[in-house]
Amino acid sequence: MMPPLLALQGVSKSFGGLEVITDVAFNVEAGGRTALIGPNGAGKTTLFNLISGVYRQDKGSIALSGEDISDIASRRRIGLGMARSFQNIRLMPHLSVTENIMLGQQARAGSLADMLTPLSLFGRTKWRREAEELLGRMGLDTYPGEVVATLPYGIRKKIEVVRALAASPKLLLLDEPAAGLNPTETAALSDFLAEIAETGVTLLVVEHDMGFVRSLCDHAVVLNFGRKIYDGPTGSVQEDPDVLEAYLGRRNRNEDAAASAREGIHAA
Amino acid sequence: MLIAQQLVNSLMLGSVYVTVAVAFTLTIGILNFLNFTIPTLFMLAGMMGWAFAERGLPFGLSGPLPWPLALALAIVVAIVASLVVERFTFRYLKARYGDATEHAIPLVSSLGFLLIFENLVRIAYGTDAQRFPGPEADLSVEIGGLFVRLPQVVSLVVALAIVLALTILLRRSNIGRGLRAIAENPDAATILGVDVHRIVPVVFVLTGVLCGLAGALFAISYGEVSPTMGDDIGTKAIAGMVVGGLGSIWGAVLGGLIVALTETMTINYFGADTVQVAVWGLLLLVLLLRPQGLFGHNAIGKGKL
Amino acid sequence: MGGYWSGILAILAINVIFAYGIFLPVATGQLNLGGAGFQAVGAYAAAYMSYTYDWPVALTLILAMVVTGGIGFAVAFPILRLRGVYLVLGTFAFAEVVAGLILNSETLGGAIGLPVPAFVDYEVPVVLAALVTLFVFYLMATRFGLVMRAVHDDEVVSDLMGVSLRGVKVAAFAVGAGLCGLAGGLYAHTFTYVEIQAFNALVSINVLLFVLLGGTQTAFGPLIGAAFFTLLPEALRVLLPQLQASVASLFGAAGDMRAPDDSWRFVILGCVTVLMMVFRPEGLVTRTLVERFKPRRRSGLAAAEASA
Repeated sequence: MMPPLLALQGVSKSFGGLEVITDVAFNVEAGGRTALIGPNGAGKTTLFNLISGVYRQDKGSIALSGEDISDIASRRRIGLGMARSFQNIRLMPHLSVTENIMLGQQARAGSLADMLTPLSLFGRTKWRREAEELLGRMGLDTYPGEVVATLPYGIRKKIEVVRALAASPKLLLLDEPAAGLNPTETAALSDFLAEIAETGVTLLVVEHDMGFVRSLCDHAVVLNFGRKIYDGPTGSVQEDPDVLEAYLGRRNRNEDAAASAREGIHAA
Repeated sequence: MLIAQQLVNSLMLGSVYVTVAVAFTLTIGILNFLNFTIPTLFMLAGMMGWAFAERGLPFGLSGPLPWPLALALAIVVAIVASLVVERFTFRYLKARYGDATEHAIPLVSSLGFLLIFENLVRIAYGTDAQRFPGPEADLSVEIGGLFVRLPQVVSLVVALAIVLALTILLRRSNIGRGLRAIAENPDAATILGVDVHRIVPVVFVLTGVLCGLAGALFAISYGEVSPTMGDDIGTKAIAGMVVGGLGSIWGAVLGGLIVALTETMTINYFGADTVQVAVWGLLLLVLLLRPQGLFGHNAIGKGKL
Repeated sequence: MGGYWSGILAILAINVIFAYGIFLPVATGQLNLGGAGFQAVGAYAAAYMSYTYDWPVALTLILAMVVTGGIGFAVAFPILRLRGVYLVLGTFAFAEVVAGLILNSETLGGAIGLPVPAFVDYEVPVVLAALVTLFVFYLMATRFGLVMRAVHDDEVVSDLMGVSLRGVKVAAFAVGAGLCGLAGGLYAHTFTYVEIQAFNALVSINVLLFVLLGGTQTAFGPLIGAAFFTLLPEALRVLLPQLQASVASLFGAAGDMRAPDDSWRFVILGCVTVLMMVFRPEGLVTRTLVERFKPRRRSGLAAAEASA
C-alpha cells in the first residue's frame, strides 16, 4: 500500500514550558484537499511551522511519502516536494512579481551554473519563461515587472500561492489563504485552488472561513488547544459534538472568537 | 605594590568608560538602538565646557565663564543635542517591510549625527587639543603608598552614584516601568497604555546626562579636551558594554572596569600601541564566543538593530 | 587632462569599487562596518609586495584581491553567525583589530607606513572600476543576485524557499571583501604610500553611508552614492570658505583658527544622511525608480507566448 503523502505521529511542541501542540497525529492522502481548522490559538500555524521545519517538534515524527523528515533542514524540505504560503503575506517586497515566482523555483535551480546564469541580461532564460508562463496560466500576467510592494492585497495573496507552486510541489501548505479577502475574491481563490488541485497537487489548508473550507476541501482535521479533536470528512464537521464544544463552549472566555466561529460554521 | 597601583589606575580610568558604557547599554537595552552619537555627546560636553570657560557664550553674550558654570552649561548642551538626535532618529521611524535595511535606520542616522557634531566642533574650534582651565591645585594624594588623583576618585564615585540612581529609577518609578515595558516589547507597551512618544525622549535625556557628566569629569580629571576625545572613549565604552552584555547596566559597569584593567595591563606589559588590538580583540572574542556577555540576555539586539 | 581631475577620477574609481565591496553584503542584509579593515588588508598586501619584492602592479592587485577575499571568507563563518547590532559591532571590531595588528607589525612599517614604488595613473582604477561595475550588474542579474535580495528582505522565507542562507551570506561577504581589497590595492598604487591612519573608523562609516544613501536594492545605488559624495565636495569647494567663516563667527571662534578642509564635506554628508533616513530611508535609487525608467514590457506578451 502507498504510504500517505504526509503523516504526523505523536507530534508535540512546547514553548517555554507551555505545550502548544500535544500528541497530534493525522495523515494527508495524496490527491486530497485537507482543511486544518480550529479556534484562534489552537496551534494551526505552529503545526505548519513544524511541518515546514521552521521549528522542530519535541516529540513524534513527521513523514513525507513514508520518509521521516524530522531531521531534514527546513530549506531542504521544499526540494522534497512541499511548499507553503504564510498567514501574513510574506512576499519579498522589493522584488518584482516574476522575481518572487523565480525565487519559488530556487529548490530546483540551486546548482552553481543556475545561480550564476543571468535571468534576464541576454534575453529571457528558461527560468524566467517558466515563471511568466505560470503567471499567465494563473491569470496574473498583467504585472510581471511590478515591484510587489505596490500591488493590491488580493493580488499579492494569489502571487504568494503561485510562488509556492513554482517549486512544483506535491503538497501545498496554505496558511489562511482567504484571510482579508472579500466574498468575491474568496470565491475566485477557491476556484483557483481547485484548479491547482486538479493538476494533482495535494492541498493542506489552514482556514477560518468555513464556507471556503466546505467549497474546497473534502477532509478536515480540527485542532483545539493543541490537540486533535476531529479527523474526518468536511461534511460532518459541524455535527461533531467535540467541535461544537470547542467553538461554542468557549463563549464565556472569548466572546469574539466564539461569535465568529458560530458565524463561520452556520454560514457553511 | 605595582599591581595595586595599576588596579587603582584602572579604577580611575574605568570611571569614564563606565558612565559612557551605561549610556550605550541603556539605549540598546531599551530601544534596541546602537547610538553612535554617544561618543560625540561626550566630546561635545568637554569641548563646549572648554569653549564656555575660555571664550564665553556664543554671539559674544558673555565673557569667559567660571569653569563649574561652563561645565554645567556644557552638560545642558549635550542633553539638547541628544534630544535633537531623538527627534530625527525615532520620531520618523516607521517600519514598513521589516527588512534588514529598515532595522538599520536609527543606527545610520546616528552615524550621520556623529559626522555632523564632530565636524562642526572642528570647524568652530579647530582640531587641536585644548587645555581645560579646571581647578588649579595639584589634586593628587598618596594613600598608603598608592598615588591617587582626587578628580578621578570623584568621577568614579559620581559614575557609580549615577548608575545606582538609574537602577533605582528603572526599578521603582513609573517612567522606569514604562521604559522596561518598551524594552520587553514596544508593541505590547503601546497597547498597555505606555506613551512611547513621551517616554522615548527620557532615554535620550538620560544619555545626554550620562555623556555630559562623563565629558565634564574627563575635562576636570585630565585637564585636556579635544574634538577627538570621544573616539577613544567611545571605543572602550562599546567594548565594556559588549563584555558586560548588551542591555545590562551593571554588566556595563563591570565591563567598563574590565576594559580599563585590560588597557592598563596591556600598556604596562606590551606598550601603548598594542591597546587597540587587546581591547578590540577582547570585544571580538566575547562577541564570537559569548555574545550575551557576562550579564546580558541573549534576546536584546539580536536580529534587530 | 590636468592632474587635479585625474586625481579626482582615481579617487572616484577607487570609491566606486570600495562601495561595491560593501554593497554586496549590505544588499544581502549584512551591515558591514569594517570596510576600512578589508581595504587596509588589500592596500598593505599590494604595498608590501611592491615595496619588498618589486612585484608588477597587475600581480599585486590580484594578490590584494585574493588575500582580502580569502580573509573575508575565513572571517565570514564566525562573524556571520552574529546578527543585527552584534554583526555591526563584530565587523567594526574586525577593522580595529586589523589596524591594531598592522600598527604593531614592523614588517609592515608600523605607525610609519610603507612607500609603494609603483605608481599607477588614473586609467587603471577607472578601467577596473568599470569592470567591477559590470561584474556587479551581471551578478545582480543572476539568480545569485535574486537570492541575495531575497535574503535581505526575509531570511526565514528565503530559507523555506530552499535558499542556503549561509552560502549566500558568506559568498556575498567574501566577494565583497575581495573588492574592498582591490580598492585598497589601487589606493596603495595611486597614493604611492600606505599608512594605517588612512584606514580609520571614519572610512568604514563613510563607505557604508555611500552605499546606504545610494540605495541597496539595485546595483545603481553604490555607483550613484560614491559618485555623489566624491564629487559633491569638489562642487562645493568654491562656496565653503564663506560658509566656514560665518559659522566660526557664530560660535565666537577666533578668525585665525583654520578648520581642516574635510570637515564641511563630512557635515554635509552627515546632514544628507539624517535627512535621507527621515524622507527616503531606502536610498536614492530604488527598484521602483529603476522600473519606471525601463521600457514598458507589453503586458500581453507572456500570455501570448504561453498560448503559442
